[in-house]
Amino acid sequence: MLRLYSISLVQFKNYQNRSIQFNERIVGISGPNGIGKTNLLDAIHYLCFTKSYFTRIDGNNISQGYDGFRLEGQFEVWDKPEKAICILRETGKKEFSVNDQLYEKFSRHIGHYPCVIIAPDDIQIITGGSEERRRFMDTLLSQLDAVYLQQLINYNKVLQQRNSLLRSFADTGSKDLSLLSVLDEQLVKPGQGIFERRKEFLIAFLPRAKQFYIEIAKSTSRRPASSTAENINLFYTSELLQASFAELLNLNQSKDIMLMRTTSGVHKDELEFTLNEQPFKNMASQGQRKSLLFALKLAEMEALKNEKGFAPILMLDDVFEKLDEERIVNLLQTVCVENDGQVFITDTSSERLVQHLTPLKKPFQLIDLTN
Amino acid sequence: MQFSSSLLENAVNEFARLPGIGKKTALRLVLHLLKQDTNDVSQFSEVIAKMRSEIKFCQRCFNVADGDICSICANSMRRQEMICVVENIRDVIAIESTQQYSGTYHVLGGVISPLDGIGPDQLNIESLANRVQKERTEELIFALNPTIQGDTTIYYIQKKLAAASGEQSQNIRITTIARGIAFGGELEYADEMTLARSLQNRLPVENYVSR
Ligand SMILES: Nc1ncnc2c1ncn2[C@@H]1O[C@H](COP(=O)(O)OP(=O)(O)OP(=O)(O)O)[C@@H](O)[C@H]1O
Ligand SMILES: [Mg+2]
Ligand SMILES: [Zn+2]
Repeated sequence: MLRLYSISLVQFKNYQNRSIQFNERIVGISGPNGIGKTNLLDAIHYLCFTKSYFTRIDGNNISQGYDGFRLEGQFEVWDKPEKAICILRETGKKEFSVNDQLYEKFSRHIGHYPCVIIAPDDIQIITGGSEERRRFMDTLLSQLDAVYLQQLINYNKVLQQRNSLLRSFADTGSKDLSLLSVLDEQLVKPGQGIFERRKEFLIAFLPRAKQFYIEIAKSTSRRPASSTAENINLFYTSELLQASFAELLNLNQSKDIMLMRTTSGVHKDELEFTLNEQPFKNMASQGQRKSLLFALKLAEMEALKNEKGFAPILMLDDVFEKLDEERIVNLLQTVCVENDGQVFITDTSSERLVQHLTPLKKPFQLIDLTN
Repeated sequence: MQFSSSLLENAVNEFARLPGIGKKTALRLVLHLLKQDTNDVSQFSEVIAKMRSEIKFCQRCFNVADGDICSICANSMRRQEMICVVENIRDVIAIESTQQYSGTYHVLGGVISPLDGIGPDQLNIESLANRVQKERTEELIFALNPTIQGDTTIYYIQKKLAAASGEQSQNIRITTIARGIAFGGELEYADEMTLARSLQNRLPVENYVSR
């Protein structure tokens, strides 16, 4: 079981110094635009992932005019209290500790507090470029599997080196093919591993996501039964399904040298979604896109729960926007009643939160950030 | 910082150029020197100037040396058939201070990293290959930082040695010193005890390369 009981934020975004207690499993957070609801969720995300959900640059999260920030969370994991602290020093150095034990590698922390966030921009997972979907897969698999995360880090490092080497071939006119073959070997090992893990995982995961989608679509559809038979499908596509990575690198070597970048590999993998055999993003309505996003996130939540033995922390940022009543009820039923993990939900209106949370008949806490 | 003397200011600025020295520390050091005897300070600056102008790099292993050959290479008590391959001179000093190693060294001057513009040609790799061939080296111990670039360098050198192998079928033992010693940190930060232990626990990379 995983709970966050309190958080303190010092010089983090719009919070100069604030401590907030979380007394219930279900926490509603309200306040007008710009008050800091999303920032509070991002602080929780920091404690789970050692980084922001929104920016790669730690310094951007420091309150304007200050020189560093500090986040502290009191967690409980399987009934054991844990204190997680993230500090960005004035020097720009980041420190992360759990129970005062500093991590030497932040990657070791990933998956320790599993967490799923659904934020408005996440619709990019459905409508954006393929890198959005790879990021979704990687975030999920990294929390499930530390080996996967290490392979991903190594893959990206070697990939950068290989691309630099390919560029240097063009710059200097001399080709050290023996160095290229060393980098190929170094790339193949994590690359092939990432592929195998993605494939194995997605075989079970994608059908689950599809099921969640069908459930969401069914219960929210007011259309006649015949037209609800919208047929969605989710596929994993990778060149590595056709040939081994080592073969692909060999095959594409001259092309890679010419284009000065690595043209094959798991950094080209894709999750494809279709609606009635057509690309989903071209066909789907806004509501359908949002339904598929929730389906993926709910399946992610389930996968984390199955692996860890407890539910991940779930954060829903502004999800009520543009959702009809039935969908809201249905979603809250799934994440608050059928799920026993901690849930943070933000909305601009505390009345709307009360109105939606009360019928669930579960204890909940309301935090109005205006006060 | 305001100075009433440009001599003082210049000295402070020079000290402040050193790594890890800020203006405040630089001022403290300079004021300390100001209190010393003139001769002592002259000797201090001469030692530094002489160090820089007269120091040489060993023609065999690229360690620092007073002459053409460093004192480690010149020491006949050391096992000449054993070479420990390191990134830089600081690594030599770290390993020497464990007093657990009795072979020779080869200082690469870095690791392969195309991203940083460092290819094999910028490093002392060719000379290592020649040396291994000429000296009939029996064992190579890689003591590089356990990073991707460290691995790239090890595999590249291995490949090069294997390719250079002629008809002679003499085996070289290739090992790396145990991983984990410098976990997340740099080799120079590994304390002497762990470094000494890791020298005793060498791991074969790929046991033999025949040449
Ligand atoms: N580094 C920073 N320093 C100070 N203030 C910041 C920093 N970064 C963001 N902010 C402030 O935080 C506020 C935005 O907070 P946040 O996005 O959490 O609002 P919100 O409550 O989620 O609003 P909405 O309802 O519009 O989503 C803005 O007013 C912004 O100026
Ligand atoms: Mg917001
Ligand atoms: Zn020498």
